[in-house]
Amino acid sequence: MFLPSNMLFTIDATMGGWELFKNSLLPMILGGIQYTIPLTLIAFTVGLLFALLLAIMRLSKSAFLRAPSIAIVSAVRGTPLLVQLFIVFYGLPSLDVTIDPFPSAVIAFSINVAAYASEIIRASILSISKGQWEAAYTIGMTQNTALRRIILPQATRVSVPPLSNTFISLVKDTSLASLILVTELFRKAQEIAAVTYDFMLIYIEAAFLYWVVCFLLSLVQQAIETRLERHISS
Amino acid sequence: MYLTVNGLTKSFGELEVLKDINLTIEKGKVLSIIGPSGSGKTTLLRCLNALEQPNEGTFSFHDSFNLDFSNKIHKRDVLKLRRKSGMVFQSYNLFPHKTALENVTEGPIIVQKGKKEEEQNRAIELLTKVGLKDKANLYPNQLSGGQQQRVGIARALAIKPELMLFDEPTSALDPELIGEVLSVIKDLVKENWTMVVVTHELQFADQVSDEVLFMDEGYIVEQGPPSQVLKEPKEERTKQFLKRILNPA
Repeated sequence: MFLPSNMLFTIDATMGGWELFKNSLLPMILGGIQYTIPLTLIAFTVGLLFALLLAIMRLSKSAFLRAPSIAIVSAVRGTPLLVQLFIVFYGLPSLDVTIDPFPSAVIAFSINVAAYASEIIRASILSISKGQWEAAYTIGMTQNTALRRIILPQATRVSVPPLSNTFISLVKDTSLASLILVTELFRKAQEIAAVTYDFMLIYIEAAFLYWVVCFLLSLVQQAIETRLERHISS
Repeated sequence: MYLTVNGLTKSFGELEVLKDINLTIEKGKVLSIIGPSGSGKTTLLRCLNALEQPNEGTFSFHDSFNLDFSNKIHKRDVLKLRRKSGMVFQSYNLFPHKTALENVTEGPIIVQKGKKEEEQNRAIELLTKVGLKDKANLYPNQLSGGQQQRVGIARALAIKPELMLFDEPTSALDPELIGEVLSVIKDLVKENWTMVVVTHELQFADQVSDEVLFMDEGYIVEQGPPSQVLKEPKEERTKQFLKRILNPA
């Protein structure tokens, strides 16, 4: 990538204080726009799709569907995200599967989101009263139609607050991708700090940028929740 | 004769809730089921559209559709059975994310694949019938209990059932809202709907029923015209129940 190295030219070891802060902003923000945000969005979207699948498998009457879902969720939730990242990026090559840093991160984060979000979705589906299923059945719906038309729309409302938390956690967790060489926001910070040795300033600056993103997201979360709460069953 | 049920039994685990139930529902007639709580009356009603699957028993419809619950029932037959009846719940169970109109059109448009505009017009007619034309675009949480239950009735009617099932339709309502729901049900009686009503409203049962069925501990204890079961019951158990309901203190 030409951008990161280009931007580093505006920073040198003699800089400090406000000047360094200002000159570091752009490369970090670019790292965020180029990698942190796409990584978050892709992993969250892909993760949610798999989460729905895992949740439905888990709620199935068939043990053949339930068992793999339980195993996957347990394995992912019971192991550190960093270890999962390392397995995908550093581990898989020994099986002759070599994946670039960014797609490796997408894979690991997607799986991680899928496991956590599937538990949220499962709990949301279970929180919808049995009467809603029954009402759907009495107007002739099959289980699938009832799930799609009646249960999931209501479960979605229930799951917005916890899923928002998952999303905000994911934004911050993407900083771990720096350890598999994805030049996202925090990797940028590390690169700058390696030149200037001004660790405190640069890492505080990185922290500040994450906070800004998460703060904006929490505002979006509040707006969505207010909107969705309008016709929730009493 | 519309529906004949023979040898119906239902257990929840060890607990036998329904024991050898036999009954006949006549076309255009109203059958009321009364009895103390825990007598199995709601379970019986729910068996009639397979919200609970009976352990044993045969259903025989006049149009020669037969089901034997002693064998495994195919999903397709369960759907066919449900298609025949509209259910009104004690707790309404309206879909909270849909307007009154959408609640009513959901069955005809989504399940029965009716034409959208046609079914919307028909839904408006049904809402007019239950006195809620001007509430069509409100959500359930913007309606009173009585209004919600009337939407529930319109929703059940919308699937064009042959049989209407009511599960204690007024039990969750404030006393002053009961009348509006009962009067809608009375209108349906005038239109000769075939109905099964589980109710605690004995006076109402007396007014609208062609037949009253008294249940206790999973058995049908007594059945007959309301003038007999409610006024001159033969069974001791029925007498006790009526006495307790009529003179609670």
